[in-house]
Amino acid sequence: MSNKNIEEKLSDYIDALNNEHEPEFAVTDSDEELEKLQETVRLVRTLKEPVLPDDDYPERLAKTVASKIQRGKETGLGKPTKTLSKSIKRILLPMTALAASLLIVVLVNWLGLFNQDVVYAMEKAVAQLSSYHGVLEMRTKNAAGEEWLVRRAEIWSESDKYAIKHDDGTLTVNNGQRKWQVNHENKEVVLLPILPDPTGSSFDLRDEAKRAKQYPHTVIGTELVAGREAIKLAISPPGGEEYYLWVDTETNLPIQLETAMQKALQTTYTFVSFEPNTKIPPEIFAYQVPEGYAVVEKDPGQQVATIEEAAAISGFMPLLPEQAPLRIIAFKDRIVLDYGDTTVMEIIPKGEFKPAPNASLGSAAGGPLEIWYERLRWRQDGIEIQVEGAKRVELASQIAADLTIPDVNQDMASKAKVKVPVDMEIVEANQKQVDSGSSPWQLDPLQVSLTFANLKVTPEGIQGEPQIPMSSFKLVTNNSVEAVVEVEDGPVERVYLKRLVRQDETGIWTVVGYDPR
Amino acid sequence: MITADVYKKAAEGDFDAIEKICLDTWEPLYRFIYYKVQNREEAEDITQETYVKTLKYFHKDKFPQENFLGFLKTVSLNVIRDRWRQKQRRGVSVNLQEINPQEVASDDKQSDIAQRLVLKNALAKLSEEQRIIIDLRIIRGYSVAETAKLVGKTESAVRTAQYRALKTLAQILDDSTERQIGQKRRENIEQ
Repeated sequence: MSNKNIEEKLSDYIDALNNEHEPEFAVTDSDEELEKLQETVRLVRTLKEPVLPDDDYPERLAKTVASKIQRGKETGLGKPTKTLSKSIKRILLPMTALAASLLIVVLVNWLGLFNQDVVYAMEKAVAQLSSYHGVLEMRTKNAAGEEWLVRRAEIWSESDKYAIKHDDGTLTVNNGQRKWQVNHENKEVVLLPILPDPTGSSFDLRDEAKRAKQYPHTVIGTELVAGREAIKLAISPPGGEEYYLWVDTETNLPIQLETAMQKALQTTYTFVSFEPNTKIPPEIFAYQVPEGYAVVEKDPGQQVATIEEAAAISGFMPLLPEQAPLRIIAFKDRIVLDYGDTTVMEIIPKGEFKPAPNASLGSAAGGPLEIWYERLRWRQDGIEIQVEGAKRVELASQIAADLTIPDVNQDMASKAKVKVPVDMEIVEANQKQVDSGSSPWQLDPLQVSLTFANLKVTPEGIQGEPQIPMSSFKLVTNNSVEAVVEVEDGPVERVYLKRLVRQDETGIWTVVGYDPR
Repeated sequence: MITADVYKKAAEGDFDAIEKICLDTWEPLYRFIYYKVQNREEAEDITQETYVKTLKYFHKDKFPQENFLGFLKTVSLNVIRDRWRQKQRRGVSVNLQEINPQEVASDDKQSDIAQRLVLKNALAKLSEEQRIIIDLRIIRGYSVAETAKLVGKTESAVRTAQYRALKTLAQILDDSTERQIGQKRRENIEQ
């Protein structure tokens, strides 16, 4: 190292201390001389009075120390139970129903993410999980720190079978052959459609798990959860709030998930008891109607052997992929083809085809293709086809040979004639706002374009009906990263948008440019 | 006065107890840490970490009531050592030997005074120009540009001068430390 380098480094060191900052240098080679001189600088500085913190430091210190100690003492369970709110109950029903797949789905999806040993071990453990029996609790905590039990469910799971007993006694079972719910209050056994199983697709955490694949994550430490030692992992969605997952150190299986505090509420899912790879009594999955109970059928569908039989029940001939399905289930108005991890559902559509506002757009059968999370949807020959699951692209391409998924690397925004400057701080704040449930319109490129174009007409704000109505806006392209919207009237002809924070269905759209008319 | 009950409550996370302990002891602890690290940012962080570590690791009925501050200082030295070790791994150079836990146990005022004397004597041995530059840059905290203006030199000349001054100072201190250690050893043998 030359003298000039060491002089500058020493000077930088003095500057950092003078500014009361922790010195941070990337010294790559050990340099004893520099160390010695830095030590001398610190010694000389001892001749002056220390710089004391701000007046509020002692108070801040006490608060931070107290919160860290309290956090360290928490075990997260055993708090008093309070009355349930109706809205939470409503949210909870599908949630607990899906508890059976929570463990596997959420975590299998997470597995690819971590490099740490804990995650590798978890991956192995989840792969080897053939069955389990456990009790899952959902607790909600408000900003004041009050916590209450929202719901508790006992779950048995074995390959594709599951049974969930809710705390009100209702039992939902899917044994792979049929799905039913035993309701003791009404003395009913309700037969439910086996496919598509909404418990397998409507669970928010599943989507969250999928997204978490690309999210950064760190090991926080070890904590006690439901009396078991668990490793706490923090998962940080870009531009979003951090949330946590706990993995049992003994079984290497996940046992707790804590969402970020959203709208002053935070939810924790905890397996308060959990036995992996346990023998589940066959009677749990056996269909039995208790004496005196009525059987109610809610169009449970009918498994048929041939497409012709299905067509006779549903009244139309479905379009078929080359690959033969494992099962065909026919309903009065639809046909479901089961491929194990993927289902194809076909219906005779009513009304216009309207892709979800924040879905990406591709093309299939000469028309638009909606790409929404793990689902593809389009219309072909008067039938609406929806393919959902791991093999969706493969199977959809077998039905619509011209199926095109948009190219995410396609650069459209740079074609804008006028560039719109973006303040990332504001964009990130907006994303957080949307994550917490506010201003969902920012997820819709049409709504964002409508606001942008109308503010060009009335810069003072939009009052009442916007001058350029929604019917004038048309989504031309959306490859999930960039979108282009055409406007029929007004000063703006074309709006260019980008998902700047997160490039999935939860990412907000921001205008980055436009073409004036 | 902090009673055993307050320590116990603090270790259990009681805010009032933690607040009492922090308010009673933060300043001497912070000064002690600042003395070692010489910047506010790091001193604030380490002070906080010291309390958390201390309270977390308190065992039931095992609180150092007599010299709690001394206990805090020892913990803080461990925290500093850990942090500096981590920095060393990142490539930041620090001298671990600079931390001497033994000095914590005893009243450190006396050694502070002795060190100030040694330092002042060492500074007195520098040339006047070197002394002024060290005073302006390190004691008074002026930037290189400001110091250059005040002494009528270029910035580069100020950096060179401060480097040479510190090198000389380090050498003088080394020599005097060696003499001090020799003196101490002799005292120990005589005892």
